[in-house]
Amino acid sequence: MMSLARGKLNTPYTVNRVNTDHEDIREFLFTLGCYPGEKVTIISKLASNYIINIKDARYSIDEDLANAILV
Amino acid sequence: MKIALAGNPNSGKTTLFNAITGKIEHVGNWAGVTVEKKEGDVKQSLNPRNEDLIVVDLPGAYSMSPYTSEESITRDFVQNENPDVILNIVDSTNLSRSLFFTTQLLELGIPVVVALNKSDLTDKKGNTIDIPALSDALKCPVIQTISTKTANNGLLELLNAVITLGKSNKKQNSPNIGGVKKALTKEEFEKVDKKRYAFVNNIVTEVERRKVSSEKQTMQDRVDRIIAHKWLGIPIFAVIIWLVFSISQSWVGPLFADIFVGWIDLLYEGVASLLGENVNPVVGALLLDGIIGGVGAVIGFLPLIMVLFFCLALLEDSGYMARVAIVLDRFFKKVGLSGRSIIPMIIGTGCGIPGVMATRTIKNERQRRTTAMLTPFMPCGAKLPIIALFAGVFFNDNSWVGTSMYFLGIVVIIISALIIRKITGDYSRSYFIMELPEYRWPSIKRASISVLMRAKGFIIKAGTIILVCNAVVQILQTFDWQLQVVAETAPETSILASIASPLAILFIPLGFGLWQFAAAAVTGFIAKENVVGTLAVCFSITNFIDVEELALVGGSAEVSTIFGISAVAALAYLVFNLFTPPCFAAIGAMRSEMESPKWLWGAVGFQLCMGYVLAFLVYQIGTLITTGTFGTGFIGGLIAVAIIVASVGYFMRKGSKGTQISAEMKSVKV
Repeated sequence: MMSLARGKLNTPYTVNRVNTDHEDIREFLFTLGCYPGEKVTIISKLASNYIINIKDARYSIDEDLANAILV
Repeated sequence: MKIALAGNPNSGKTTLFNAITGKIEHVGNWAGVTVEKKEGDVKQSLNPRNEDLIVVDLPGAYSMSPYTSEESITRDFVQNENPDVILNIVDSTNLSRSLFFTTQLLELGIPVVVALNKSDLTDKKGNTIDIPALSDALKCPVIQTISTKTANNGLLELLNAVITLGKSNKKQNSPNIGGVKKALTKEEFEKVDKKRYAFVNNIVTEVERRKVSSEKQTMQDRVDRIIAHKWLGIPIFAVIIWLVFSISQSWVGPLFADIFVGWIDLLYEGVASLLGENVNPVVGALLLDGIIGGVGAVIGFLPLIMVLFFCLALLEDSGYMARVAIVLDRFFKKVGLSGRSIIPMIIGTGCGIPGVMATRTIKNERQRRTTAMLTPFMPCGAKLPIIALFAGVFFNDNSWVGTSMYFLGIVVIIISALIIRKITGDYSRSYFIMELPEYRWPSIKRASISVLMRAKGFIIKAGTIILVCNAVVQILQTFDWQLQVVAETAPETSILASIASPLAILFIPLGFGLWQFAAAAVTGFIAKENVVGTLAVCFSITNFIDVEELALVGGSAEVSTIFGISAVAALAYLVFNLFTPPCFAAIGAMRSEMESPKWLWGAVGFQLCMGYVLAFLVYQIGTLITTGTFGTGFIGGLIAVAIIVASVGYFMRKGSKGTQISAEMKSVKV
């Protein structure tokens, strides 16, 4: 298990856990389809952000959140 | 019949709402443009039998469990206000996420019609969706729509389905996953939601065929790598904003402005000759200099503003603005905000009020309040005439004035956020996540419509509030306290001058300690356009931008001579007006978004101090550089600024101490 922040580009990872004290962001990620068992792919790393693909949409997340998503 | 529009952010709800009601609500290619519910009637051509159809546009939501406050508006509406039909807008390029919310809506018992929007994009990507199978699986009508098109867009068919279903009085069949209406424990809730996603995944694998899987790199991703690049991102943004100001202030804008100002002059002369010589000079001056001159001076800038808004609308439509948020996120993070705060500020470039309202998409309370407080520092549409006026009169129409004010706004926001974080002592971090919209070619038509709407608003405002203000200013400067007409040689005896003069003393260290400027700054709180209007009335100048006339009399030197201040002081006055509190309407918006009198008064006080200190620095440092000595009133101003800095410093230390204490208390507990 590692954090998404250390993941490689263009490699589909399976979400293992969202490691945070903030319950609401976990729930929010869930509604986007980012929860244990689902796939997430890093598309690019820009500025301090990660562009990720969940389901069929692109999101920009910051490093803190990329660190919290364990794959 | 009440029809609620619900769906994920950026699925095109407002575009569809505009298409079926004929209204012109603000749209943009990013998530979270709409933050309030809006109502409208279906237009005649889509409602041939003239039924009573009210459509309610709601903010986008990803699910029935709201993350931010504008999402809860949507949930509350569909749950409590009993719409007759829910029109669920689904982005057809993203079925696998959108249908999650759809299945929740289906369980409310209210008839649902699904509009598979953006179906042109699905076709372009070579994806296919089996509509009958999808309709079967969801047990509700599914209709393909392209709400950006004017014909063959599926909207008539969509409304037919809505009307039929709304009249049938049938309860919606649901896929029965459960959990939306019942109170569940967290574990049960999670289980239900997983089941829900499993249900959606099954449907999607059944009905959708994708040519290219979505996690593959696309052309758009390559564009993002350049546009949102760590180092290239900022220069690209700067060039784009400079282009916007150049086109509107130096290249295209002035062409239109010349023609337009010519018309205003004709009107002025026409009314003047109509009045003739026999009209009472006070009434004549009120009508000509006060009303036509003052309003005309403001309206004269309309062409420049329209061109600027046209360029900004194209940018918004293209999807670029969401990338700006990524580029600036890094800097905003350092001062306790995030890229989320950029969106309200970009909207605030049009008008501060919707900008401040857009702060509800920010989850964290301190960040939301801070953003609401700082959004008015962006140069809004009403401040543009001030920028254009001073750029034209003192700086030869240089587009760097507007561009630098825009970026100065961003820098001041970043510095202010840092100060506010210290004062509040709240160092909490929050996560940043934002959906990235796809780029698209901006539509000239959409941009034109949005510009015409803004122009209409601007003209209405000029014809009402600004007209009244200018008339009042004209009257106050015509009479003295004995209600006698002021002699032309002694304008300083007028009511206006005697009210504004004490205030003007405060402005001496800022370089513009003249009562006219003080009066204009005060009327600016009613509406920022008034600054230009009041200056026009007080100095009896009818137009500021007639390039032809200015060229004849040797450039804009004449207007600047009438103003009687140096270019440095003019820049200081510009800065002062941009960074003092916004107009009352925007302060009202701040009040309702902040929900705290303490924050509101703190914000207004902070803005006043910021405007004063910045104008002081610009004037004194500028004068030192240009003339080698400090400007007027340096010592007095320095004392005032020192007091401001010391009190802000005191609050910052107090705030940080508070954090230390609470941190110590925490460590004791551990």
